[in-house]
Amino acid sequence: MRGRGWTATRVLAAALACGCALAPSGVRGAQQPGVAVAPTPAGQSATTLPNRPDSLKFLVLGDFGTGDSGQYTLAKQMVDLYARFPAQMAILVGDNLYGSERPQDFQKKFEQPYKPLLDAGVKFYASLGNHDAREQRYYKPFNMDGKLYYSFKAPKQDVRFIALESTYPVPEQITWLENELKNAKEAWKIVFFHHPLYSSGKTHGSELKLRDTLEPMFAKYNVSVVFTGHDHIYERVKPQQGIVYFVAGSGGQLRKNDFVPNQPFSAKIVADTQVFMAIEIFEKEMVFNAIAKTGKVVDSGLVLLRDSK
Amino acid sequence: MCVLAVLALAGSPRAQDRVNPEAKALADFHTRVDEYYALHKKLEATLPKLPKDASPQQIDRDQRSLEALIAAERKGVRQGALFTPEVQRVIRDILARLFQGPDRAKLRNSIMDENPGRIKLTINGRYPDVVPLANMPAAVLKAMPPLPEELEYRFVGDALILLDAHAHIVVDYFDRVLP
Repeated sequence: MRGRGWTATRVLAAALACGCALAPSGVRGAQQPGVAVAPTPAGQSATTLPNRPDSLKFLVLGDFGTGDSGQYTLAKQMVDLYARFPAQMAILVGDNLYGSERPQDFQKKFEQPYKPLLDAGVKFYASLGNHDAREQRYYKPFNMDGKLYYSFKAPKQDVRFIALESTYPVPEQITWLENELKNAKEAWKIVFFHHPLYSSGKTHGSELKLRDTLEPMFAKYNVSVVFTGHDHIYERVKPQQGIVYFVAGSGGQLRKNDFVPNQPFSAKIVADTQVFMAIEIFEKEMVFNAIAKTGKVVDSGLVLLRDSK
Repeated sequence: MCVLAVLALAGSPRAQDRVNPEAKALADFHTRVDEYYALHKKLEATLPKLPKDASPQQIDRDQRSLEALIAAERKGVRQGALFTPEVQRVIRDILARLFQGPDRAKLRNSIMDENPGRIKLTINGRYPDVVPLANMPAAVLKAMPPLPEELEYRFVGDALILLDAHAHIVVDYFDRVLP
């Protein structure tokens, strides 16, 4: 892979023995050539979040703002995890509020379920999905600073996050993105937005036109990880051009078993329960856990920082 | 020179006749969208600027204030003011071409996902609070005439609406759009 100008992000410990919410046929463990993958041995538990004091800890949530029991149950798991894993922040990959967006909806679909996290000072950074009104960018707890697309440096570790608006990606945004990526000095570049460039979701699937536009830039400027939503499943994609993609679109909404099996890019799908992600970055390592509303870890692993050479 | 000029003048009406009707309809649509956009901006400028750390109440108030201003200014505007019959034809053609491809079923599924179905639409009326905004696939957006940031295309059932995203009102719409 070095010959192509980059070193593939290596994903370790992909498969899980216990807690897997999918039937075996739904688990995809095939490996991309050139990417080192070391599955967790059978019977062993999921890759543990190291919980280092100086690490960046964050949560990933998408397609959550329903206000119904699925969202609330998963939110409780997030709160329970926070007691053991004090995340500094959370990123939202869109569809933050479904249906109406009256003041009481912001309460019911966001402020109430995540109140303990908000009260504890966890900062939420939102991107907008196709169901979100653009005025959400002014909503203080979403920390968008009035912008549809924006970037920020993480409070810990050498990480830059870039949030995009993928429903109406105007040309100005693409120019802005290229400048942001070009000028970013941080080792880790993590991009998040709503529409997935890779997804096995049956209802929507991969956004190919968006992929044509964004992926060459992600590869050129050394993006390590991309988080998206839109399809109401959890999916981890095999590294593509060295980039690890996740779909985290079942944070409240769930479309049971709504996926096309055996997509060549797919590494792991969980499509029968709501899922959020807990992530920890320390120096050149990113450990991830995908956690179901039962509290069970349904996917986990380690992503190594892409080599910038 | 005089002869050439005369020939040029004589030829010009016929050249105009040959203008592609699709291009003409789209140019007309752009003009109408620009006029709406200018109105939107003019009225928006009369409102207090929404702070970057707004509360949901402030967001709601701001939205409804703009809605009222636009509705008052556009009183009497009827359906088809932006989506003229010619533009409707062009958009139906664009979508028909798009739906001829192999992804027809996938495209339709994506559009109909969380689509609220047919609801009563009113020009300058507020998009119903309890009705979700349906998905607009990137392939459809790429094929459609571009819009300024304040305006969005959305499907409601098989009608296409032009939504003012800030004021949250229906600017125009037309039915039976999907092939």
